[in-house]
Amino acid sequence: MDSIGETKARLLRGAVQDNIATVRGVRIVHPKPQARRRSGVWIFSALSAIALVYLTVPAQFVPSRASVQSTTPVSAAAINVDLTPEATVPLSHPRPIDRSAIPLSIKTIVIDPGHGGEPGATAESGLTEKEITLDVALRLRRLLGESPFEVLLTRETDRRLSLDQRVAFANEHKADLFLSIHVNSMEPHTIRALETYYVGPTDDPVTLKLASRENKESDYSLADYKKILEKIYVDARRDESRVFARTIQSRLFQSLKIPNPDLENRGVRTAPFVVLIGTQMPAILVEIACLSNENEVQLLTKPDYRENIALSLAQGIRQYAHRFTVADRKG
Amino acid sequence: MEETNETLCVGIDLGTSRSSISASTGERHVVDSYVGWPVDMVARKLVKKSVLVGREALDNRPMLDLRRPLERGIMKDGSEKDQEAVQEILRHLISVAGIKQKGKNKSKVRAVVGVPAEAFRVSRQNLRNTIEGVADSVMLVSEPFAVAYGLEALLHALVIDIGAGTADFCVMQGRYPTEEDQKTLPNAGDSIDEQLVKLIRERHPDAQFSIHMLREWKEKWSFVGEPKNHVMVTVPIKGKATEIDITQEMRAACESILPPVCETMVTLLTRVEPEFQDKVRDNIILAGGTSLISGLSEAVTKALSDLGGGRATVVKDPVFAGSDGSLAIARDASTADWEKLSL
Repeated sequence: MDSIGETKARLLRGAVQDNIATVRGVRIVHPKPQARRRSGVWIFSALSAIALVYLTVPAQFVPSRASVQSTTPVSAAAINVDLTPEATVPLSHPRPIDRSAIPLSIKTIVIDPGHGGEPGATAESGLTEKEITLDVALRLRRLLGESPFEVLLTRETDRRLSLDQRVAFANEHKADLFLSIHVNSMEPHTIRALETYYVGPTDDPVTLKLASRENKESDYSLADYKKILEKIYVDARRDESRVFARTIQSRLFQSLKIPNPDLENRGVRTAPFVVLIGTQMPAILVEIACLSNENEVQLLTKPDYRENIALSLAQGIRQYAHRFTVADRKG
Repeated sequence: MEETNETLCVGIDLGTSRSSISASTGERHVVDSYVGWPVDMVARKLVKKSVLVGREALDNRPMLDLRRPLERGIMKDGSEKDQEAVQEILRHLISVAGIKQKGKNKSKVRAVVGVPAEAFRVSRQNLRNTIEGVADSVMLVSEPFAVAYGLEALLHALVIDIGAGTADFCVMQGRYPTEEDQKTLPNAGDSIDEQLVKLIRERHPDAQFSIHMLREWKEKWSFVGEPKNHVMVTVPIKGKATEIDITQEMRAACESILPPVCETMVTLLTRVEPEFQDKVRDNIILAGGTSLISGLSEAVTKALSDLGGGRATVVKDPVFAGSDGSLAIARDASTADWEKLSL
């Protein structure tokens, strides 16, 4: 057994290393798979691959406006909220939208702070995705506190939740809206981008890579995947998700471009994120910043900036919910 | 560590309600975590200072823009004034410890500061930035870890540091604690205050009292379990000084933190290797100002009996246990370590 002196020396080393990690510069660290999940990793990878292939098929085989447009270069700065891949990729099973399937008022909103337990993306300074997403989610709940909505968080502390637990939480609480908050990490590190996703196919390799990374924590079985994938396009909520995503993206960009003038508006996109596939209500995933960009990391360390993000999300939610109130009155 | 005449070590427990400092000079002090600036020229003339800290700030609060800059053990968000207030508290602590901060013979200060166990990393970075200019090098450690280090409770121990803003838990297993070994709860002294206000207002809606009066009552008469005496306080009701009995309210408010504290204690115990759980159960250490609640250690020990027994004890000096532990860390760290952590 170690002497007290040896134990103290070991503890001190730990404390010093922990502090050095807090003050260090930019190095992106992706979460390591947890040991107890390791045995299932290859099965999950296979499931993810099936899901991603399934969702990319329509985009690959159906001629789309995207493929035509791709011949015309579009500068990053010119991209706006209306340039959505969803608008350019036809659905595999198109069906008329049944508007009655959507509730005519928003009562319950589930906010999902991405990651937890495991850090998600990590900036070199040590700032982690899980901390930012939880901080913004808690602020958002406070800001929505005086509204008529019931606001529920999938996690309120730093704890690990699998993606299917997050989905189950939203479904069990019969949420009317689902908003998952994430922070991106991109190459090259000069990129500082804002983007909002709703469920759908994609042929963008960068988006596929992102979806694959964010889907890591899923506990779905193959049977679950098949069931979920079969129904995603016949769901009326998809159109509503797109409207919700546009509202949020627009609000966020308008507000954040002031303190963050180099922010790139990547618009509303579709991607096969598990949390968007499994949820039974209009659902979006928003990437509020890039932890790979040092300037954005600096902004994220400022409480005012995080408050600004939460405020824009709250305004977007209220704006989206207001549609139903107006429609209800008219109807 | 090698300490020259110019280099001093300090351990600081930066608390939501009170902050303490233990210095290598042997000085130990505690101050109320309040800072106030005179609201106008008249106030400035009366208080004769540009900024007041601690009890002095509280006593002169009608004339001050009074701040309690820490919330749940970390700096409040968004306000430069609160950041400035934290700097004033730190400067004040270092000054009352007799450390020279200006002039030719200015001391070089190496500070270890305790923060909540699960302190948000951004807040830790903010705190480091805030300390710049007050100390030369700084190390941030979790509060319960500092307590454990100071007591040399490094193996098979569970420290529960209950302050005003947070209750911080840390299992010591002979290694630097990981996230899994630590937990922070918002159920602490301030949540007791909130409960107490609510309960007294329910029973005595016309009673007039301030949060400062209530905190003084709590410090004098807080308890859990069966009451030994009645808790009687005098408050104005419709302008008339009236004595009211708040025994049951005090008990209920203090006991409100027991379920979450005991539940979290059990959660952390279950994460310990099964063969060592008995040892940890017998070594539950309570620290922090709120651990001074009468009957608290007995209540926690009683909760342990459901798990097969165990013992909770309150440290000898709960108010200084954190800063003493931080000072021990500061003294033990090498010069090379401190150089890596200079500001």
